[in-house]
Amino acid sequence: MELKDMKLRDMRKALDSKQISSAELAKGYFDNIKKYDGEIKSYITVTEELAMQQAAAAQDIINKGEAKPLTGIPIAVKDNICTKGVKTTCASKILENFIPPYDATVMEKLNAQNIVMLGKTSMDEFAMGGSTQTSAFAKTVNPYNKGCVPGGSSGGSAAAVSARLAPIALGTDTGGSIRQPASFCGVTGIKPTYSRVSRYGLVAFASSLDQIGAIGLDAHDCGLLLNAICGFDIHDGTSAREDVPDFTSTIGESMKGVKIALPKEYFADGIDDEVRETVMKAAQQYKAMGAELVDCSMPSLKYAVSCYYLLACAEAASNLSRYDGIKYGHRTSTDCDSYEELIVRSRSEGFGDEVKRRILLGNYCLSSGYYDAYYRKALALRQLVRKEYNDIFEKCDIILTPTAPTVAYSPEKTADPVSMYQADICTVTVNIAGLPAISTTCGYDKNGMPIGMSLIGKKFREQDIIKAADAFEQGFTPVLPKM
Amino acid sequence: MVKYLADLSKLEFSEQKLEETAGQMTDIINLMDTVKEIDVTYDAYKDNHDVFLPELRCDSVVPSMATDKIVSNAVSSDNCFVVPKVVE
Repeated sequence: MELKDMKLRDMRKALDSKQISSAELAKGYFDNIKKYDGEIKSYITVTEELAMQQAAAAQDIINKGEAKPLTGIPIAVKDNICTKGVKTTCASKILENFIPPYDATVMEKLNAQNIVMLGKTSMDEFAMGGSTQTSAFAKTVNPYNKGCVPGGSSGGSAAAVSARLAPIALGTDTGGSIRQPASFCGVTGIKPTYSRVSRYGLVAFASSLDQIGAIGLDAHDCGLLLNAICGFDIHDGTSAREDVPDFTSTIGESMKGVKIALPKEYFADGIDDEVRETVMKAAQQYKAMGAELVDCSMPSLKYAVSCYYLLACAEAASNLSRYDGIKYGHRTSTDCDSYEELIVRSRSEGFGDEVKRRILLGNYCLSSGYYDAYYRKALALRQLVRKEYNDIFEKCDIILTPTAPTVAYSPEKTADPVSMYQADICTVTVNIAGLPAISTTCGYDKNGMPIGMSLIGKKFREQDIIKAADAFEQGFTPVLPKM
Repeated sequence: MVKYLADLSKLEFSEQKLEETAGQMTDIINLMDTVKEIDVTYDAYKDNHDVFLPELRCDSVVPSMATDKIVSNAVSSDNCFVVPKVVE
């Protein structure tokens, strides 16, 4: 089997049966990275030396017959997840030389399984964007069309998996940052329920919305990675004490009788015709599998983008106030006469334009005189969005929507911040409500660009959406990008 | 207004950048204004009633990260952060 066709479970079998060594597997990906990543630009840091050491350690464990599900498996990691001793930049000049003295909890969990880290993937600066074009170091391109963006903010992770520069990757999702790039790059991405995965060691953007998840070749692989990273963590007070099931255990079960809701607002004007038609076709395929399609409505969607940006930017303004040029991160080289000047210069030199805009918006909506009109109103809208989801889930098991209003576009279209924000319409409500959702490819447009659909599940019911995504994927033949 | 927000945010912009940013912020705030159209009230109790106090961490002393690691990404001297002189 060729590397490009190997899923995680194929790798597990090949490693355990000694058809391939962990080092050979990693080397295959590093060869691809050397060959293609000059153009794709999916990685900010490639960690080949470390990876080969990890592969050797993994091989010892495999040889002893003590391999865990991910032992020896190569994984790419989004560059906002702290990796001890390995640069973690958040794609920002302000963290250009930051080397974390500790591992994020997800990395501790993965290292406990002896994974092999291929490197750190590019992203929008501080995960703020939907195109990976705000990255200070690597403006990733889409493997399907190098003149298009890969989506974002986890665009590096999605492009790496799509171009076979990694078999699976960690991403993070604050408003769609796993699902939308997965959709644009023709791969599968899951954002788990808020609190499923510890955020300890994830560089904070918007703490009530951020969640770590997986981007892989299919739903089954994403489930395998989730199995390894979920669970309560004493270092994250918001992490859930819920039991962690085997997220792949329901794969293969029948879709008969599963109720799938289609909120009409997600299929209205503003969604490209080809996207709408392709997702509706997928809905009909579910019907053919025995699922029941349910009409429903989510009137609050009209306010979702504003609600999301008010909440996210308010939290970002607070979270990013820690960057002062003193404790860590960029420090201006200009001689400063005061503490204040040092902070202002360091921050102004270190942050990019989009991050600055969001800090300004966050401080605006938290300011005296505006707090009630904007931030508190957004909190009220969050409660309304949650209520509407609860009402819909009383009548269904899963909600199906497009992942993005369009397929991937050219970088020139990212110049207008407002239109970029509006493009998040299909994904932000999931974060506002803290629900799990998975995006998988359901077709291609006339130019061959991937179209993604999202399956949204009830809280802590990731296995429902993994099962449904897998059921679709079993009857779908993906078209690989031409490299 | 944007100059005031920049000061609050500990950011500085050139005159040209400030003008450009002001234009963008006007468009962004126009988009945010859609939340004013709907009459909803925030219920703080709903968001906080499920905080389960017995699950919070015990207030006990535990080992923390070594100082040399904490200052490893900073300009430091004798394991202390270095800042510009702030007193005469």
